Amino acid sequence: MEMIKVENLKKSYGSLEVLRDINLSVEKGDVIAILGSSGSGKSTLLRSLIDLEKVDGGNIYIEDIPLCKDGVYPSKKEKRRILSRMGMVFQHFNLFPHMNVRENLMLAPKLAKQADKAELEKMAEATLKKVGLLDKIDAMPNKLSGGQKQRVAIARALMRKPDIMLFDEPTSALDPELTGEVLNVIRDLSREHMTMLIVTHEIGFAKEAANKILFMDGGYVLGFGTPEEIIENTENERMKNFFAKIM
Amino acid sequence: MTLSQWIPQMGEGCLLTLKLFFVTIVFSMPLGLCLTFLYTSKSAVLNKIVGFYILIMRGTPLLLQIFFVYFGLPYTPFIGKYLTISDRFTAGAIAFILNYAAYFAEIFRGGLLSVDVGQYEAAKVLGLTESQTRFKIILPQMFRIALPVVSNEAIILIKDTALITAIGLSDLLKVTKTIVNKTTNISAFVVAAFFYLIMSYVLTLVFKALEKKFSF
Repeated sequence: MEMIKVENLKKSYGSLEVLRDINLSVEKGDVIAILGSSGSGKSTLLRSLIDLEKVDGGNIYIEDIPLCKDGVYPSKKEKRRILSRMGMVFQHFNLFPHMNVRENLMLAPKLAKQADKAELEKMAEATLKKVGLLDKIDAMPNKLSGGQKQRVAIARALMRKPDIMLFDEPTSALDPELTGEVLNVIRDLSREHMTMLIVTHEIGFAKEAANKILFMDGGYVLGFGTPEEIIENTENERMKNFFAKIM
Repeated sequence: MTLSQWIPQMGEGCLLTLKLFFVTIVFSMPLGLCLTFLYTSKSAVLNKIVGFYILIMRGTPLLLQIFFVYFGLPYTPFIGKYLTISDRFTAGAIAFILNYAAYFAEIFRGGLLSVDVGQYEAAKVLGLTESQTRFKIILPQMFRIALPVVSNEAIILIKDTALITAIGLSDLLKVTKTIVNKTTNISAFVVAAFFYLIMSYVLTLVFKALEKKFSF
């Protein structure tokens, strides 16, 4: 089964085309790093997959169910059902500042009646343990470092038991010395064969942790292949330049 | 007239002042919140109507609005007799509530705009419905952001209540003025000032405590 299938996806802001005829297929267990310069459309693509951006045309299938067909979306309820298979982590964490870590984790599954309270409590503890933050379970978000906030955000997304995780520049807002702890958590997830799409500028991490690289430029997919094919052996001038500048 | 006679009278005036204050707060804040929802709703017609309401309420003197409700409404052509509010306190309170609701609507709207768009996005990707997002995520943050401004507004209100004197109610100011006339002595004014100051100060403390309790 394809976890995500994207066909001929198009989106523009006024006259600016940000996504041009995107096609993409994501297999179970794929870890795909989405690379490219700013403004290339990588965040917009990721956000389209989880309905944070409306597309103008094309199809999106999540686990073979259409989220969008020719730019037409299903009902809110149906969309919520499809999107519940996915979790998302943002650049700026977006933790709920008025709730402590435990409440941040438990709110969504509790409202969705995913399990009873005792079970969710246990799950919250286990998930926090996994990201190494069990001792912060009663802390308010403003008492955490950036790296800790991002790990809580990942734990919060995992509470919904997603099949697919989307990461939108998860380390871009962090001090350099804090990116490691977040990347380690993502690495752990890849070892558990979580299907993931990661928009990132961490080329080293992409090379080592991703099995596929999607390279975007000007709203097009310029390359899609293994890290060796894309980063080391590309014949494309645009990609060559990009990697030469960064590494 | 001695101090022991007029202090209890002023105390009764204080009670009326406080009654007006609480009635106004209790009704104008929820009404203001409803106006905020209409003002920020997707309907352009509702936005315009609420915008116009706020323009009128903030753009004209509260005293004029009090006179309008108490003295003016009965003269409305054809339906005047149905709009007659003979109880002075009720008439005054209605004017206060309508006026303060407009201010609270703007304050809450400001708070709403200050909530980061990322909060809506996080709620959405976690599968919260629109109403769950509004009540569990957005409103608590909006209230927290609005709290210092609400505090300011409440302190203005406690002093604005003195306007009710104009339609003949025996609030703290009215009682004080009567005492000054009788005693030909300004000390009652000083005591009244002290009473208002105490009420404002207590309010300040209450809101400080609320801000601390809901800090994040």
